[in-house]
Amino acid sequence: MAKKSARSEEEVKAESDPSPMIDCCFLLLMFFIVNAAQITVSKDPSVNMPNAVSASEMKDANGCIVVNVFADPDVMGSKNPAALEKFNKTYAPGTIWGVADSNQDSIGYNSGQLQELTDYIKQQRESMESKGIKPEMIRLYLRGDADAPWDRSSGAIRAAAAAGVSNIVFGTLPAEN
Amino acid sequence: MARHKKIEPPAEEEITSNISSMIDCCFLLLIYFLAATSLVSEKKLDISIPPPAQGSSSKKPKVDPGNIYVTKAGVVTWNEGLTVGEAYNPELKPGTPEYLQQRRMESLVESLKMLKEQADAVDTTPVVMLHGAAGAPHQRIVDVMAALSEADIHSVGLSTTADE
Repeated sequence: MAKKSARSEEEVKAESDPSPMIDCCFLLLMFFIVNAAQITVSKDPSVNMPNAVSASEMKDANGCIVVNVFADPDVMGSKNPAALEKFNKTYAPGTIWGVADSNQDSIGYNSGQLQELTDYIKQQRESMESKGIKPEMIRLYLRGDADAPWDRSSGAIRAAAAAGVSNIVFGTLPAEN
Repeated sequence: MARHKKIEPPAEEEITSNISSMIDCCFLLLIYFLAATSLVSEKKLDISIPPPAQGSSSKKPKVDPGNIYVTKAGVVTWNEGLTVGEAYNPELKPGTPEYLQQRRMESLVESLKMLKEQADAVDTTPVVMLHGAAGAPHQRIVDVMAALSEADIHSVGLSTTADE
């Protein structure tokens, strides 16, 4: 009897084994790191991206010169008031093209500043070339608003062509989602 | 007496590594990447602007170039005759069947595929010119680009025409 009571008094250590949780955690971490590597172009929330039924994956954003093309503020505001508010806070009135400088600060250009936009693209191209990016890999990444008039997009393409960039990438979202 | 005193070995200490700080870091990184990752990633449509013609411009191309016109309202026509896309309706909600119907321009894709086959037959690159009205919606231009991409045509000349 004495023996039995001694056994029941034995301490049972309750330990939680965190190793499967850590394994899962690492797997998730790796998944998100791999996915995050694709997001290398800065995204302006004021742009309502167009949708395309046939588009390919953006595998490498290296060499992309991002130019945002905005819709008219009234159209932007009617679809997304938050986007208009952000746009008004970030850019001066009349801005139709937006880019980001090396510090990720937004710069806006109006329709009369095509030459300034050309200079910006040229400067970016030269900077990328000096970093060893092949000229054929340098592309204009056009993030045009779905409701932006075509002359704004074509203006940005003309600026890129004048700056020596002839490869154009149209940024889109998948239509079937 | 001191000589006979037994030296007791030090009490056994369990050697454990404290991994809690590593787990903390791991969780922080996980939260960062979770927040930074957008699962609906942007896609792309590549085109390249053909270089300006060099030498004699009177040289006739092996295959007649295709012309796509997009009006201010978003109506898309192929070679000035065939209407391949109706006017753009900005009120349609993405994801609805009507929206997808408007995005797809099957007759344009067919025409472009025929042009590509003709060009391939004579071992040349198909030439397509896209004439967009100044006020044409960007979405309609992207629809045309998607059709070009589906037909495997990536060299496109672009021009802007006055709004009618």
